[in-house]
Amino acid sequence: MEKSVATLDEGTTCTSWNYCGQRLATGSFNGFLSIFDSPDPASSSFTATSKIRIHEGGIVKIVWIPPEYGDAVACICNDGSLSLWEEIAEDGQPLQWKLCETFHSKGSTVLEAQFGVIRTSLKMVVAYSDGHAKVYELLDPFELKNWQLQAEIQNVIDSVSTFGKASCFSASISWNPQLNESQEPSFVLGFNSDTPQLNSSKVWVFDQAHHRWIPVAELALPLDKSDQVFAVAWAPNIGRAYELIAVATHKGITIWHVRLNPDLDGRLSLEKAALLSGYEGEVWQMEWDMSGMTLATSGTDGMVRLWQSNLNGAWLEQAAFEPTS
Amino acid sequence: MPDVAADSSASASGGALVPFVPDTEIAVVYPLHHGLKPPITRVSISWARGNNLRVSLLRNPPYNSDSDGEIGGKVVEVNLDSGAADVREPVQWRRIAYGSVTPFALLQSRKNSASSLSKLQSSPSPFHLDWWEHVMEYSKDIKELLGNPKSNYDPLIEDPKEVLKKGEEPTSLKAAWELMEMFYADKLCQSWLPERLVDWLADYDCLLSGDQPTVHSKLVEFQGTLVTLQVIEDDPKYWEVISSALAIGWLEIVVKLLRLHGSYQLDQLGHRETENGLVETVAVLISMMPRFRPELKNGKLGECFEAKPDFMKAWEKWREQITKLDSSAFWVPCHHRQTREGLKNLIQIMLGNTKILCTATAHWIELYISHFLFIRPFTAGLEGMYNLAQKCVQMKPMSSPHKLLRLIIGIIGENTEVVLAECSRGFGPWMVAHAIELLTARSDQADILLHKEHDDIGGISMEELHRLVYAQVLTSHFLTWQIAPVYLTSCMKQGMSLLEFLLYRQPAQHNQLLLKNLEICRLYELDHVSSNIMKIAGVYHWKHGRKGLGVFWLQQARDEFLLNKIARHLFDSVGKSISSESFKQWEGLIELLGSESKPAGSLEFLHKYRDFKKSLQQACDKKTLDAARHAADSLMSLMKNPSTPQRFWLPLLYDSLTLLTWPGRPLLNVSQTNLLLNKLQELSMASMRPGFVATDLPAEALNSVRLALATNLGRAILEEQ
Repeated sequence: MEKSVATLDEGTTCTSWNYCGQRLATGSFNGFLSIFDSPDPASSSFTATSKIRIHEGGIVKIVWIPPEYGDAVACICNDGSLSLWEEIAEDGQPLQWKLCETFHSKGSTVLEAQFGVIRTSLKMVVAYSDGHAKVYELLDPFELKNWQLQAEIQNVIDSVSTFGKASCFSASISWNPQLNESQEPSFVLGFNSDTPQLNSSKVWVFDQAHHRWIPVAELALPLDKSDQVFAVAWAPNIGRAYELIAVATHKGITIWHVRLNPDLDGRLSLEKAALLSGYEGEVWQMEWDMSGMTLATSGTDGMVRLWQSNLNGAWLEQAAFEPTS
Repeated sequence: MPDVAADSSASASGGALVPFVPDTEIAVVYPLHHGLKPPITRVSISWARGNNLRVSLLRNPPYNSDSDGEIGGKVVEVNLDSGAADVREPVQWRRIAYGSVTPFALLQSRKNSASSLSKLQSSPSPFHLDWWEHVMEYSKDIKELLGNPKSNYDPLIEDPKEVLKKGEEPTSLKAAWELMEMFYADKLCQSWLPERLVDWLADYDCLLSGDQPTVHSKLVEFQGTLVTLQVIEDDPKYWEVISSALAIGWLEIVVKLLRLHGSYQLDQLGHRETENGLVETVAVLISMMPRFRPELKNGKLGECFEAKPDFMKAWEKWREQITKLDSSAFWVPCHHRQTREGLKNLIQIMLGNTKILCTATAHWIELYISHFLFIRPFTAGLEGMYNLAQKCVQMKPMSSPHKLLRLIIGIIGENTEVVLAECSRGFGPWMVAHAIELLTARSDQADILLHKEHDDIGGISMEELHRLVYAQVLTSHFLTWQIAPVYLTSCMKQGMSLLEFLLYRQPAQHNQLLLKNLEICRLYELDHVSSNIMKIAGVYHWKHGRKGLGVFWLQQARDEFLLNKIARHLFDSVGKSISSESFKQWEGLIELLGSESKPAGSLEFLHKYRDFKKSLQQACDKKTLDAARHAADSLMSLMKNPSTPQRFWLPLLYDSLTLLTWPGRPLLNVSQTNLLLNKLQELSMASMRPGFVATDLPAEALNSVRLALATNLGRAILEEQ
């Protein structure tokens, strides 16, 4: 049933597959970035083809840049920096991984970064430990070093709310994985912090007319608003009239139906479709399959679980996998 | 998940979406073997193609760089379904997957033309009337893929003691398909369904022997002992298997076994004449059994009657003969007790003695079949069949019924949802996606049910859902993803978007795959997807040092935005002294860029600049006046052209110093030189303004050009005088 596709070096701390599942990037506790490739697309055996040290400390997270912009990864390191590395062959030189850009922020660390392709531009949302998120835009598709700060946002639905200095432990971002270019770009952002207002997941949509990002929906019931968010995942939509977004908190995984046609107030209509329980502890990761029908999750209990909705719209755990040696 | 589909105890179907799992059911937990030394500190997941889930299992990083010599983690891939139950060999499965594409696509296209035809005609189309025939043609093609028909009990002439023919094990997939076909699609067999079931059981009884014996398994066992038996008729097993075989209508085997009776042996015929006469009479009666069916396959025993009155008459007569034999006086002189009792037992079976039939059969389905043959040959209508099945199940209850039996109950219980669920659970997504065509062949009710849109799952119908699920299975493997589009495009609502996601996720850097991808896009008119794929390929090649290929794909994608960006990158080389090798590459790129796309004026300039560069090089190499004049003309045409960006004026002139100071005679006349001097003046003025982009030429460049121009002006004036 299961087969091994790659063996990872000692000290590997994170892994990430590219868009087509043909390249694997791994990061290690001592700052090495390794890239795994397979000899041909039919093979499912991956071996390391390059390994470079990109940082003195450890790599915490790796995210691939969308393929329209080449083979590049964003690495978040344990000192809170974010750096972009690209595989490129510059004039007359062999193919190699090169540093394009490093993002530092005074007094805060990078917790999470995710990319979204919108029409002809690449956008990157970076969430910081102070509760802020920045949206960057790539200026030249061939130059991954030229980023422009498009917006700086605070994850609150009401811009007048005030609170003290926030301290966030983790952040979760998921772009709307749309292929349809008629929709405005949107993403969902949630925090795991000591500041209740920041925590709940909010859907952010780019308002083309005013050229700004606005929070249009808060994915939490009134009593759950301060719940710390561990993970968010926006499902691919292959024809539903509504979007599916999964949000994990300590209460479980909530599946939200979000209709993207805003009402008169500009808010989206929301429906809490299910609360999936079964986890003891924290959800680490949630991933929707290509059809947006199956949600895979992993968490502190070490289990991998698969969730699906039946024809009556009831979400059920369909299977679980327990790692055993 | 191959094991899941095959394991009947695993009720959650893993990857496949089964609509009728009760809410209370607890998900099955599967072990995920990784072979790592515990503890595992992190598990991360990622979907690979289709229903493959990749799980990265990471161990704790070593503290203080103290290595324990273990590997740091593993990535394992879990396949969440197998496509079709019973088909364990990947090659065999692919043969079925590929083979079913054409019949499926043909049926869909017939369906489409039928529906457009019926839209045109207000009255029901005559096409509709024989739709089931198209479905039967489709079903026949599919059946051929699932294996050749084989009867397990064909007697072999060569070996009189071989009662069961050994052959390829039939698959339950085919057994299930045949059930669906006979009940839902085949209109012709509706009047003799019970007899069709008799044939079906003859072919597939061997599949039912699991934890419980079947008539087939009893026969196999007896076959093994047959050669060692001296006096066969003394063995109670002999009579037992004969009555079992008779009960489910395997008449050829019964007759063959009866003729192994010792009384047939030449040396015994003399003193066992009456006994032999009785055995033979029973054998003849069995082989004359009237059957309520249009035909029998070659070598099968019984007499066929298609019309009910004819059959009734024959049946009554046959029963009369049996009763007569039962009460005949010939039994008295038959001294062999086992023979007498065994034959009497067979007579009771033929007379429809329920108790004896029940003893002779093992599974409820066998008892069910025996009812059709000997008690209720006229059972008609699904309701009657269902009631009878209920009765048989009660008489022979089973703890874990075989998936084929569950399917039969669903079918005769007329519950389409249960049938779908059983198909999906027992036989996998391939079966459901294809058998839906059979289900809807003649039933409007099933048609409505399968096409009803379900709002709770995003507004798609069950038919579409099952096709999507199957398409996902196809995309799970590198060798079958190419046929997924056939199924996806048959889904009106959500198939096309899933196809777009699928195509987008194919690796664009492999040329073969890219071409295949583009071919699919072309076939289904997905231009926006193909341009995106070509864009990915273009950027990939450009950034990986294959600039020409990059430009080619970007042009194919008609991505003016990126091509313009490339043109601007090429600008950066203007005025720089580039080696002849990279000039060639640069020149080639401009050539490529120019062939189709014409972004603004920038390319026009690049083309002119390339011509100028070429002629300048020739002038320097050949040192002839003609070549130099040609280069000077190119320079003038560039400098006069409004599309030449101002920032390149100085680099161009600095490049042309050789021309401006051409030995022998000046190449530019007075007015030309004046024009260039004016341009220089203009440039000096522009440099005062904000936003002026300074070139990275040496500081003395401007002065050298100015001096060269002044010298040239002087020489030109002198020459013109």
